[in-house]
Amino acid sequence: MQTRYNKAFRDLTSDYSKNFMLILAIAIGVFGIGSILGGYGVIKREMTDNYMSTVPASATIEMEESLTKSLVDSVRQFPGIKEAERHATLVARMKVGEKWYPLLLFVVDDFKNKKTNKPFFVSGEHEPATGAMLVERTAFVVMQANEGDELVIKTPNGHPQKVKLSGTVHDPGLAPAWQEQTGFGYITLATLHQLGEAQGFDQLRILVSEQPLSRQHITERAQAVGEWLKQSNHSIHEIQVPPPGKHPHQSQMSAVMSIFIVFSFLILILGSILVATSMATLMVKQVRQIGVMKTIGASSTQITTLYITMIVILCVVALLIAIPLSRLAASLFYNQIAVLLNIEIRNNSIPYWVPLLQIAAGIIIPLAAAAFPVIRGSKISVRNALDNHGVSQKHFDENSWAVKFSKLSVFSETFRLSVRNVFRQRSRLTMTLGLLAAGGAMFMTAMNVSEAWNKNLKRIYVQRLYDLEIKLNNPIHADSIIEKIKSIKGVKNVEGCNQASTSVSKSNSVEVTNTYPDKGHGSFTMQALPVPTRQLNLTLAEGKWLNNSKANDVVLNQNARGSFKIGDGISLSLDGKPTVWTITGFTEDVGAPATAYVSLEVFSRLTNTSGQAKVLRVSYFDRSKENAIRKNREIEKLLEKEKISVSATIPVWLLQNAIAAHMKVLINSLMAMAILMAIVGTLGLMSTMSMNILERTREIGVMRAIGATPGKIRNLVVWEGLLIGALSFFIAFAFALVLSTFLGRFIGNMAFRTPLSLTISVVALIVWILLIVIGSYVATLYPARRANKITTREALAYE
Amino acid sequence: MSHEQNKNLIELSQVTKSFPLASGTFQALKEVTVNIQKGKLVAITGKSGSGKSTLLNVIAGIDKPTHGSVLINGVHVEKLPESALATWRGKNIGVVFQFFQLLPTLTILENVMLPMDFCNSYPKKDRKERALSLLNLVNIKEQADKLPSALSGGQQQRAAIARALANDPPIIIADEPTGNLDSQTATSIFELFAALTKAGKTVIIVTHEKDFSGYFEDSISIADGVVVNEVVNA
Ligand SMILES: Nc1ncnc2c1ncn2[C@@H]1O[C@H](COP(=O)(O)OP(=O)(O)OP(=O)(O)O)[C@@H](O)[C@H]1O
Ligand SMILES: [Mg+2]
Repeated sequence: MQTRYNKAFRDLTSDYSKNFMLILAIAIGVFGIGSILGGYGVIKREMTDNYMSTVPASATIEMEESLTKSLVDSVRQFPGIKEAERHATLVARMKVGEKWYPLLLFVVDDFKNKKTNKPFFVSGEHEPATGAMLVERTAFVVMQANEGDELVIKTPNGHPQKVKLSGTVHDPGLAPAWQEQTGFGYITLATLHQLGEAQGFDQLRILVSEQPLSRQHITERAQAVGEWLKQSNHSIHEIQVPPPGKHPHQSQMSAVMSIFIVFSFLILILGSILVATSMATLMVKQVRQIGVMKTIGASSTQITTLYITMIVILCVVALLIAIPLSRLAASLFYNQIAVLLNIEIRNNSIPYWVPLLQIAAGIIIPLAAAAFPVIRGSKISVRNALDNHGVSQKHFDENSWAVKFSKLSVFSETFRLSVRNVFRQRSRLTMTLGLLAAGGAMFMTAMNVSEAWNKNLKRIYVQRLYDLEIKLNNPIHADSIIEKIKSIKGVKNVEGCNQASTSVSKSNSVEVTNTYPDKGHGSFTMQALPVPTRQLNLTLAEGKWLNNSKANDVVLNQNARGSFKIGDGISLSLDGKPTVWTITGFTEDVGAPATAYVSLEVFSRLTNTSGQAKVLRVSYFDRSKENAIRKNREIEKLLEKEKISVSATIPVWLLQNAIAAHMKVLINSLMAMAILMAIVGTLGLMSTMSMNILERTREIGVMRAIGATPGKIRNLVVWEGLLIGALSFFIAFAFALVLSTFLGRFIGNMAFRTPLSLTISVVALIVWILLIVIGSYVATLYPARRANKITTREALAYE
Repeated sequence: MSHEQNKNLIELSQVTKSFPLASGTFQALKEVTVNIQKGKLVAITGKSGSGKSTLLNVIAGIDKPTHGSVLINGVHVEKLPESALATWRGKNIGVVFQFFQLLPTLTILENVMLPMDFCNSYPKKDRKERALSLLNLVNIKEQADKLPSALSGGQQQRAAIARALANDPPIIIADEPTGNLDSQTATSIFELFAALTKAGKTVIIVTHEKDFSGYFEDSISIADGVVVNEVVNA
């Protein structure tokens, strides 16, 4: 080996702590990119693959009547239609312990030969016998049952009956059941009849043969089929076209992913700052050696090559450590997300562009970061390098505010010196502060935003003043039952309302909605409320709440708002007929699908249901979950006794759980980011602080020589660390405010169409301050001890 | 003095070096004209701040003169570009520093081999042998595989001299090479320099130490950037 490379190699192996920090800095950046983008790459691919392999129906046409097999066969022959299938979906209830939960029943025409929205077989029976049910794998938790157990279920028109859970399927098109707090079951039509329902298959699922991902084309084909059915005297309720090729949780996933991408980009920047700082420090130490080498004949090119070799070696070591670890982290990450999305990772290979990007980032960025100090170092004139004044003190002058500030007599000598040391090297200080501020800002932002989510979630109790919502199968004259419920002890208020599914009518043809097969995602509901209502206190974003019980006013929530303006007229379909309303306000609801709020009186007139209610909302004095569970049971018993046919009871606490579960992906990933940031930030602080001290071994030797005790020196150095930490904190806080506002707005809008209000997490503030204090303390303690250990003679002998 | 041009290895004529200062420019060398012959041991003396180091730096191409010319071995040093200067210096000038300046992570032997590596001056296989013989010359062959930090000041300076000789340069310059050494060690270093001139090297030394004036054939005295006394023995 050439002698000069001996130097490169020896330099790399001689000072472990410094080079370790450098490698760590690069490795963290590379690790961050790899774990996030690797996870992202796999999830994105698998989510689409999983969903698409179920062959999701292009559209579902809901009929008012049952479909015959021959009708389905003729639809299959329709131009532009590849496949057609009969189906039915029904909301029933299931008894878990003493509580009733919603149960979504999918009635399948032909289990063996299913054409659309095919679930994957997992275990047990492939085709449920009459009286048995296949269960989506994530629903067992909600049912608190296992395959082979029996479950009591009740359809709207039937009596509670035991059904055997005879098999398990996996349906990637459904969100995890525990997220929806709902059961998912698959039965045959015979079982449905046995459960007490007379209905047949009333849904027609179709697959288009061309342009399967064009919503416009699908809508056009589905409407053509609808028109044809209408002409053959079949009546159609609505057409559902969920966003083609998109998993029901795609938009939430996009929000999560965009956070990841933003954060991995920031980590990359952070890593680069760390590398740049470290390189700059390394080069300061090397300047004199560069001068010596140039004096004995080294050219600038030779010196540049030498240092580039050193850096590349460091980078390669960092990559060797970081890439395998990041793959491990990526797998933890995508497995976690896969559970939350109810998808199965079938191919866990990380896309090839991820390691390529890591290699590029892990070599190019450190080289670029080092380029400036290396080039400056090798361009520096021999004289400058050898100058005894040294390069490092250039920026210090006695009129600077740091000196003036530190001269204030309240400070001790040690503290004064610390202040001046902090400001001695402006460019390094800027880098260290930048690093810490960026880390801190991101940490606090992640915590702030996740707290904003939680706060948003708690608003559910503020917006919904009721504790139990009872959905009835048929509208009833509810006055007497309302009085009976009111007489139960602890009940504060009861209101009867109504609701119907709706869609924005466009002239002619059949209504088209965005609804997914689970009937929840993408649906649009009209809620008819007494004016004024005592059960809702929605957050108004604009305009006025309903205040005239006789007016055709409508208030839309953020999911229904679209591009409408206050005062616009809107035509909403009710039972297939268009009705005309005037928009008076917009609300921001937590956890509601697209909803239009209207006056019950007007609604009843339009639907000929005057004096009737289809939904009962009950509020309690004591809103705790425990009390709600108890009271809910009393009310259910009463309804049973009164022979009122209930389709679903939805306690607000259950709703909150469901929404919380939806947000879990987001919160978890934000917390993961926060932790990663905290680690990167603390390590950055530690590495720059310790390098800062290690570099001054000689100076410390001088101070020792003129009588400074080790204790004094430790104080000096620790103060310096704390000072930098404190400065960075204020910058970080300011940045966090700005970042949190934007991120909150962005994520809120993306996932739930409502911005998150700026929330400052006190926990984040405290944790970050502690991290900074402990981090600077620990980071400075070791090098200070080391500096103290070196004898004065040694420290002064050489640099 | 300048009549026998072919005998002069180094010719400085009208060399001025000024440094920009906040209060104007400061002239460290003022129209200095000096000739140094081959094979001599030359002392540069003068009070602190008089311009000794600056003169040496100008000769070594470390400082560029503001005016005037520096002709060494027929080469106009002040006209060489920075890139060519490094290689030229590596081959023609051996520099010995006051604080030795050995690279701390290389062994003594490697430190001595380094200039040959940078200037690619000897075949690779011969470098080690040459470095060892140089270390032998300066009497520290036993220390060859130690790191600089394990050596005494005098030993380090010997190693630095061996390094300065690595590319067999005709000129050795040393700025207060014994400033950090005791007088006994200093004596042995001066003897080493004297021996080098016997072997045909030209050695220029900045020194304060009057005790060693006996070693020098020629001397140049500077005061305030001006040559005040030049003693040249024929
Ligand atoms: N880079 C510089 N910028 C400004 N002035 C300089 C610079 N280098 C040297 N000087 C000034 O030039 C003058 C000569 O400096 P030089 O280093 O040559 O002195 P010296 O004779 O070697 O002194 P000493 O014996 O103390 O080493 C001094 O007054 C010094 O202040
Ligand atoms: Mg000097």
